[in-house]
Order: sequence, then C-alpha cells, then structure tokens
Amino acid sequence: MTRPSVFFRATSLVGGLLALSGCAPQSASDSANLYPTKTVTLICPWSPGGGTDRLTRFMADQLQKELGQPFVVVNRTGGSGAVGHSAGALAPADGHTLTMATFELSTMHWMGISELTWENYAPILQMNADAAAIMVRSNSPWQTLDEFLDAVRANPGKLTMSGTAAGGAWDLARAGLLLAADIPVDALRWIPSKGSAPSVVDLLGGHIDAICCSVPEAVTQIEAGEFRALAAMSPQRLKDYPDIPTVHEAGVEWNAVGWRGLVAPKDTPPQVLTTLQQATSRIVASPEYAEFMRKNGFAIEVRVGAEFSEFLSAQDTQWRDVISAAGYAR
Amino acid sequence: MSELLQFHVLIPWILGMLFGIFVGATPGLTATMAVALIVPVSFYMPDPNTGLAMIIGVSFTAIFAGDIPATYLRIPGTPASAAATLDGHQLARQGRGPFALKVDLLCSCVGGLIGVGLLMTIAPQLARFALRFSNFEYFWLAILGLSMSAVVSTGNTRRGFMAAALGMLLATIGLDIISGAQRFTFGNAELMSGLGFIPVMIGLFGVSEVIRSVVAGLDNTMGKTPAGSADESNLRTAGGALWSHKGTVAKSSLTGTVIGALPGAGADIAAWAAYGLEQRTSKRGAQFGTGEVAGVIAPTSANNAAVAGAWIPALVFGIPGDAVTAIVLGALMMYEIRPGPLIFEQNPEQVSQIFNIALITQLLLLPCGYLGLRLFGWILKLPRSLVMTGVLVFSTVGAFSLRNSLFDVTVMAVFGVVGYFLEAKRMPLAPLILGLILGPMVEENFRTGLIKSEGSFLPFLTRPICLVLLALLMLAFVVPPLLRRFKPRQT
Repeated sequence: MTRPSVFFRATSLVGGLLALSGCAPQSASDSANLYPTKTVTLICPWSPGGGTDRLTRFMADQLQKELGQPFVVVNRTGGSGAVGHSAGALAPADGHTLTMATFELSTMHWMGISELTWENYAPILQMNADAAAIMVRSNSPWQTLDEFLDAVRANPGKLTMSGTAAGGAWDLARAGLLLAADIPVDALRWIPSKGSAPSVVDLLGGHIDAICCSVPEAVTQIEAGEFRALAAMSPQRLKDYPDIPTVHEAGVEWNAVGWRGLVAPKDTPPQVLTTLQQATSRIVASPEYAEFMRKNGFAIEVRVGAEFSEFLSAQDTQWRDVISAAGYAR
Repeated sequence: MSELLQFHVLIPWILGMLFGIFVGATPGLTATMAVALIVPVSFYMPDPNTGLAMIIGVSFTAIFAGDIPATYLRIPGTPASAAATLDGHQLARQGRGPFALKVDLLCSCVGGLIGVGLLMTIAPQLARFALRFSNFEYFWLAILGLSMSAVVSTGNTRRGFMAAALGMLLATIGLDIISGAQRFTFGNAELMSGLGFIPVMIGLFGVSEVIRSVVAGLDNTMGKTPAGSADESNLRTAGGALWSHKGTVAKSSLTGTVIGALPGAGADIAAWAAYGLEQRTSKRGAQFGTGEVAGVIAPTSANNAAVAGAWIPALVFGIPGDAVTAIVLGALMMYEIRPGPLIFEQNPEQVSQIFNIALITQLLLLPCGYLGLRLFGWILKLPRSLVMTGVLVFSTVGAFSLRNSLFDVTVMAVFGVVGYFLEAKRMPLAPLILGLILGPMVEENFRTGLIKSEGSFLPFLTRPICLVLLALLMLAFVVPPLLRRFKPRQT
C-alpha cells in the first residue's frame, strides 16, 4: 500500500497552495486534546466553486477555529460523486479525513454507480436539505400543481420537464411525485440536462414546459415574475418561501430533498465523533452559519449523529423504490 | 469609477491579475481554477469592489495568459488557447514569438473591450437572442465547430477527420447523461465522469513535446532559428499588424461575444469558430497554420470577447455562460449581489460598477500581460533540458490538481505517448481536441433534441436559426468546391 502515502503527500502540496492563497493555518495550540493531532482533510465530492464546495470551505474555516488544527478542503470529483465519496469511505478511520456527503450517497448504489451506502460511514451531522419544487413559466396555463398534473394525465408523454441528468436528484424527485400521484413515470417526459442552470434557460426560452429543482436555483426568475413555483416537495411550507404551496396541499404524499452532511469513515473512534459532533453543532447554531446559508439560499436542516443515521436509512428505502419504478435500477 | 482608481483597490486587483497570468500560463491550470482559487481570497478584502475587481481581473487575464505557453511551447495553458497552438506557435518557430504574443495581447485587450462594450449596450437583447438556442441549434453549432477540423488539419483533410473521429470516440467514455448508462468504464469509478479533457490536452501537447525533444535529441537551446534573436517587434509594430487586420479583429470579437453569450458554449469554442471563420473568408486562407498573423488575431480576439460575452446571460438572467461565470455567480451571492432580470432596475449602480471594473480590467491587462509575456520570454533563453523538465513538472501538477486524482496523471502520461505516435504518423492533434470538446455537444444535443421532438428530425431542419447554421455549413463546404469546378470553364 504505497498509494495513500503518495496521495497524501500530493494533497498536502495542494493544501500548501491553498494555504498560500489565504487560508493560512493557525498553529496547533491545545495538545491536551487527542483529536485532531494534525491537518484534517475535508473531501468535497464536487467541483470547486459549486454550492457544496462553498459549504465545505465554510465548514473547514469554522472547524479550524473550533478545533485549532488546519482543515483543508480537497475536491475529489468524478463519477457523479462516486469518486469523492469512496475516497472518504476508504480513508483511515481516525477522523483526519472527513467527507461532505451529498444526496447521491442515497441513490448511487441502487443505480450501480458505486457499491457505497451510507453504512460505510459514521454520520456526524446533517447541515442542510433543499426541497425539490416544480416551476413553470408565468405565462403558462397552470396555476396550481393540480392543474399541471391534470394536464399530464390528459396528455401522457406530451409535457416535458428538465433539471438534471437522467437519474439525477431532481429527475428522481419528479419520478417519485408522479408515482405518489398515481401517474405513470413516463407520462411527463424528462429532458436530461447538465444541471439546473441549463434547464432554467430552456424553460425561459420556452423549449420545455416545466423544471424540477430546488427553489434557490430558480429564485431569480421567480422573483422577477418569469416563473411560477407550483409546489415544493416538503411536509411543511418552506421557511424561506412561505408563498409556495406544498405537494401535500394538493393531496400528494411525497417529499424529496437534496441534502448535505458531514460524515467520517465507518470505524472512527466514538470520542472523535463526539468531538466533531459537538464542534459542528456549535457551528450550525452560530449566527455566521445562518448568515452564510441565507446568502447562498441554502435551507438549514440539522440532524446530529443517530438522528442523521435514521434520516439516511429512510432516504435509502425511499429512493430504492423510486429508482426501480423509474427503471434506473441496476 | 473614481472609487475604483485607488491604491487599496488597484493593488489587490493588479496582484490578482498577475496571479491570473501565472495560473493561466501554467499548462493544466485553467481559468476556472484561477477564479476558484481567487474567490476565497477576495472575501478577505475589506471593500466588496476590490473583491469583485480581483475576480473579474483574474478571469480575463487567465484566458490571455493561456496563449503564452501555447505560442512559445505549443502547450495550451487553458482550453481556450488551443487554437493559439496553430499560427502563434508557427510564428514562434520562425523566431517571431514575441511579436505573435504582442499581437495576441493587443487583440485580447481589444477583444475584451468590444465584448464589454456589447455587454454594456445590448446585453438584454443578446441574452433574449441566446434564449432562442435550444438543443437543435446547439447541435448544428457543434457540427459547424466539428467541420473546422478540416480547416485546422493543415492540408490533409482525411487525417483531420480521422483525428476528430478519434476525439469523439474518446469523448463517449463515461456516464451518459441521457440514459444514465455507463460506457467503456469497465467498472472504474474514475472513468465514470469520462476522460478529463485537461489531462488529455496537456498529455497530447505538453508531454508529447517532451518525449519528442528527448527522442530527437534536439540541441539544448530553445530559440530555434537565428532569427529568434532578430525579433525586434514592439507594441507599435504589433499595433500596426492589428490595424491592418481591423476587420478581422471586429469580426472575431463579435463572433466571440455572441458565442460566449450562449449558455451552451464558451471561450474555447469561440476561439475555434473565429479561427475557422477567418480562414474560410480570408484571401490568404491557404496560408493559415503556417504562421499567418490573422490566424493569431482571430482566436485571441474571440476568446477574451467570449469571457465578456459569458457575462451577458449571467447578468441578465443569473445563468452562467460557462464554468468561470458559474463560479463568479456563486461568489457574487456571497457579496449579496443577485444577478437576474431585476438587478438592472433594483441595483443599477452595482451593474455599472461591474461594467467599470470589466472595462478597467481590459486596460490593466496591457501592463500585466506585457510583464507576463516578458517574464515567460526568458523561457526561450533557458536550456531546453530545463524547460522540458519544467513542462513535465507543471503538466503533472496541473493534471493532478484538477480533481486531486492520480488517475488523471496516468491519463496525461498515456496521452503523451499517444500524442507522440500520432504526430510521428503526421496525424494533426488539433482536430482530436475539437472532437473531444464537441463530440459530447453534438451527441447530447442530438439525442436530447430527439427526446424533445418525440423522435422527429424536422425541428433540426425547420427552425429558423437551424436553417441559418445549415446555410453557413453549406456555404463553407459545399459551395467552394462547386465554384472551383465551374471556374476554369468560365475563364
């Protein structure tokens, strides 16, 4: 096993570059604590500059202040998140390599992209969850989710919706919604796209009928009056967007969120996990965190330790059913 | 405007731009990465304008700087500079590298100014126009781009098409976004997201160059011809060259801005399109690829104009035009600036501040870029062995740092060897790169278009913009051979 050592030498080189670029590490102060004893690597499975990356960097900054050791973000992208997630699961279980896990952890093993499940990790703390929502153009005939779903029932296979690649978070959210409303999954055609931004363009240009993504991803257009949000797939109305009805109000029992949370490798010692849970709990309770999340339009949803595990387990079952019904199961 | 021209703003701004020069000129470190690295630093600036200036400054300089190694060493610093490996590098081989880069620098400034000018004046109209592009239009745009492979293969069209086809084949590796199926991944998670474009590019151009100089045992000086020392160009002679090609500059900058404004295409495609357009319409088209000044002017005006163009959908709709503006939009959120239809009404001062920053950046690019090309000019005085070692080191770091992946370093090494053998068999590399960039664009837009039209091919042929693009394709490739056939009889 010579590979990890090369990998870590090289990451510390990149870490050095990052340190030069402004995130200068503070010196280790309290050596009384057993953890952390050295630089901690935070793996972000998505590329620099994106939402998950911004959140990971914010957390690295805060954890560094809390725990007195440098926290360095390493972007390990590729394979729809599989590469970063598996690097995080295979790292030594000493708490010095953590992963910012995302929604894809709940789905990718059902789709045959990876063998990994949430059970390969020790969950630390869930930081956020953004509910999926359905948006249409303001000049479209549909005022409510009911009207939209009726149109889908009346013209199966005619209407189009976009938001992610096939089998991505928002495609599965759509499939789940249709299943919960007793509509065949292919009655509303999914147009694959590279992400929510291109699909917003497609909806603006009138090339598709609706989009499914989180509200913040389309909020500029909603506020400008270009789009109308028909419904959010959450149990209660969203705190930040109380005007948007939920799918439950239209009688569809269905929830879908994209989430992010900090996890450690499976066999991480309990005292290390406790330290991390306490530190991250303090961070998510801080006004800085609230401010950061507000600026980025991310919804705060916190679950710690065992509660996070339960959430992950429930997500796993929910998506297994949708994935097999939508024909993505491998 | 005046609050921008103060030391506490200008100094971080210029330092940021010099950082952009360094990152952009390093093979494998892209403009996207330069911006991603500067964003966290910009948050430490006390004044939001300073932070914004740094971010915008970096995005423009990195694209220019990518042309420096492309010209001197035939190794593109960023994907947007791949077109500069053609005529720019040929000029460098004739000992006129510094001249080519001075022309390049001026073109980058002027292209940027024209792009920003269009951004300031007709952004909303251009953005509305860009909205009319859907998968059907992007498909033809990509086909038009692919047809450039015939243009850039300098002479041998058949080999050009073979190389482009190879590029397209390689681009199919990975997770298919349309069906979610895996192609040629052999269960390898690293291959799931496909072959990284950057590692392949540095391998083909950078590593293969190193192998070639080792195998050929070239002499140990970089300045290849005696004329290398005789390049007595200055900004004035470069300006003269620009003035005599002012039509090319205008045409290419316009092309660059429009393509940059399309959310589905960026600076790399803009550079190729401008090069191809110029080659097809120029009287000296046949000389392209042999060190023609217009072949330097067209892509380098277009790529900086495209950076400005990418701001058009970003500001008007809050939608990124390319990867760089995607990061910039994320950073703007942290400054509580929310671009979109409302920003022009609710926050016009902020918009004009962004415009001012973009304008001044183009002017600052002159001194910063000049310093950059002088510094990198020393490369030519260094012994070849040292330069090639440096190329190998930076290529490796570049390939690794993209995704922090050793796998990408392997990809780079493999394509270094592939590139060496392809060149030895006189296969042109530029079309391969085109195939790699445009292959997925052709395929994804074709298939997504068919999903939208429920399997009908008609929209590809009947939509108005499709017709225009199709007509352009005909004009470029069907009409000239016909004319050539009839001409001898008439005269």
